[in-house]
Amino acid sequence: MNAFIIFALLIVLMLSGMPISIALGLTVLTFLFTLTDVPVQAVALKLFTGIEKFEIMAIPFFILAGNFLTHGGVARRMITFATSMVGHWHGGLALSGVLACALFAAVSGSSPATVVAIGSILLPAMIKQGYPKSFGAGVITTSGALGILIPPSIVMVMYSVSTNTSVGKLFVAGVVPGFLLAFFLGLTTWILARSKDYPRMQRSTWLQRWRAFRESVWGLLLIVVVMGGIYTGIFTPTEAAAMSAVYTFVIAVFVYRDLRLVQIGKVLVDSAAMSAMLLYIITNAVLFSFLMTSEGIPQAMAGWIMDQGLGQISFLLVVNLLLLLAGNVMEPSSIVLIMAPILFPVAVALGVDPVHFGIIMVVNMEIGMCHPPVGLNLYVASGITKMGITELTVAVLPWLFTMLGFLLLITYVPQLSLWLPRLLFGG
Amino acid sequence: MKFLDHLEEWFIAFLMAAATLIIFVAVIHRYASGLPIPVVQDFLLRINTSWAQELTIYLFVWMAKFGAAYGVRTGIHVGVDVLINRLNTPLKKKFILFGLLAGASFTGIIAALGADFVFELSGTSSTSEVLELPIWIVYLAIPLGSSLMCFRFLQVSWNFARGGELPVHDHAHVEGLVEDAAEGRQ
Repeated sequence: MNAFIIFALLIVLMLSGMPISIALGLTVLTFLFTLTDVPVQAVALKLFTGIEKFEIMAIPFFILAGNFLTHGGVARRMITFATSMVGHWHGGLALSGVLACALFAAVSGSSPATVVAIGSILLPAMIKQGYPKSFGAGVITTSGALGILIPPSIVMVMYSVSTNTSVGKLFVAGVVPGFLLAFFLGLTTWILARSKDYPRMQRSTWLQRWRAFRESVWGLLLIVVVMGGIYTGIFTPTEAAAMSAVYTFVIAVFVYRDLRLVQIGKVLVDSAAMSAMLLYIITNAVLFSFLMTSEGIPQAMAGWIMDQGLGQISFLLVVNLLLLLAGNVMEPSSIVLIMAPILFPVAVALGVDPVHFGIIMVVNMEIGMCHPPVGLNLYVASGITKMGITELTVAVLPWLFTMLGFLLLITYVPQLSLWLPRLLFGG
Repeated sequence: MKFLDHLEEWFIAFLMAAATLIIFVAVIHRYASGLPIPVVQDFLLRINTSWAQELTIYLFVWMAKFGAAYGVRTGIHVGVDVLINRLNTPLKKKFILFGLLAGASFTGIIAALGADFVFELSGTSSTSEVLELPIWIVYLAIPLGSSLMCFRFLQVSWNFARGGELPVHDHAHVEGLVEDAAEGRQ
């Protein structure tokens, strides 16, 4: 009964449009003052200590690092490099779009920003070459979501914080699925482009490729700094995040010279505000999951689901549907913070690997960004292409189905996510 | 008011930069002091950086509280607006105001709870683990930050109620693209 009241209250408050963090907090307070005997003091303490974990501090650092590289100049270098590599195949520019999105999203960490950065440079060029607008929009909207799967990923840090899973393992686990999804999106693009005979570009020489690579490699090395640092044990994930913030600062200001020193203040304030928003959601989500745990809700739900005789396969199917549904209305970080503490105990009880479960959640979040009514990428793409949401929804369909197929693959073939972390970390 | 706005921005930017530098220096120090360079190594080994983690956490806690207040002013806090976007304008306005005032009351309650908590702590002699700062000073971030946030919510609702615009944060803003568009048109 209590569980029902908590969720009903949360959903009503959320649907009224108030910030998610406030809805979470108010639910906890209301419940606390009216229905339970959990002492307010215990909650006050949680409020203070909720984000006092060094692991969580990776989030502001990654956001700062991403913001240093979320710049039109970096996007242009990635596009040049991508075009030099894959531009000569069918649908050359569109394929470059997929690759450039994957690269840019990996360093910038923000899906909507990727859609804007790559889209506003690449889409005009595609239209000039004779691609239909909807084709370009479809490619960029969906490929822009690749970022949260390819490390460093803030959503993964969120998952690791709320379930105590190793960030390093999650990052490593994201690598294979990330490249695989990029490959599938590219394949869909290629097949469509081939059947419609969209223009190819001239094959670049290896010298041109090398030059383009040298230009973009400084940004890409960010991934190496993070992954290499964590894997070799030189840094903890949070330290790796801080190092990558310093690294991207040096690259943006002294190597690429995209940022002037006077702009640094603005980058700092923007990153701080963005991090604060996420940390505020985390604080309140911690409160919320504390309340749920003290009411025994996750355990009760786990017990109930076990009693239903749901096996791993049907449970994962339900999880996917639930997350896709949630992805309709909320952004990824909030979904992970609210859902992970509830679903995780059940998943573990059913024998799903924590790392694999994390990857499933992240892939769901990716899809959620690209489908209506609330996919953030859709809205952003609609802004730069001046296409309506309905029109865009139709445009993204081929790639959206590819992503759904990919989700099934990831869900039921755990080896795809677990092979690399097992190889590197053992176990 | 302008002064408070700027102070807020400077404060969170400073905390962000400071935390980054501290961790950077601590990591460099950890590896540099392992290098067998005479004199330098002795010197480095004498510096203790074990407080870096703790300090970073506290800097970020402060940044989170004051950044959240700044975020209210700039409209960065996201909510679920699918439903209310379909309502007619006057009704939607009521819902938005309700949301803002809910924010104000939540942060107000937290500020009061926090102040009470900090007041109790200030009577004790508990300190943080490594830095040994009085813990109530560290936790002062909650009542101060929440009060500021409450104030910002009220400020935004007041402006909105009087027909002003709601601040909206553009989550997809990318620097360095505007010139491209201009060049493309030429």
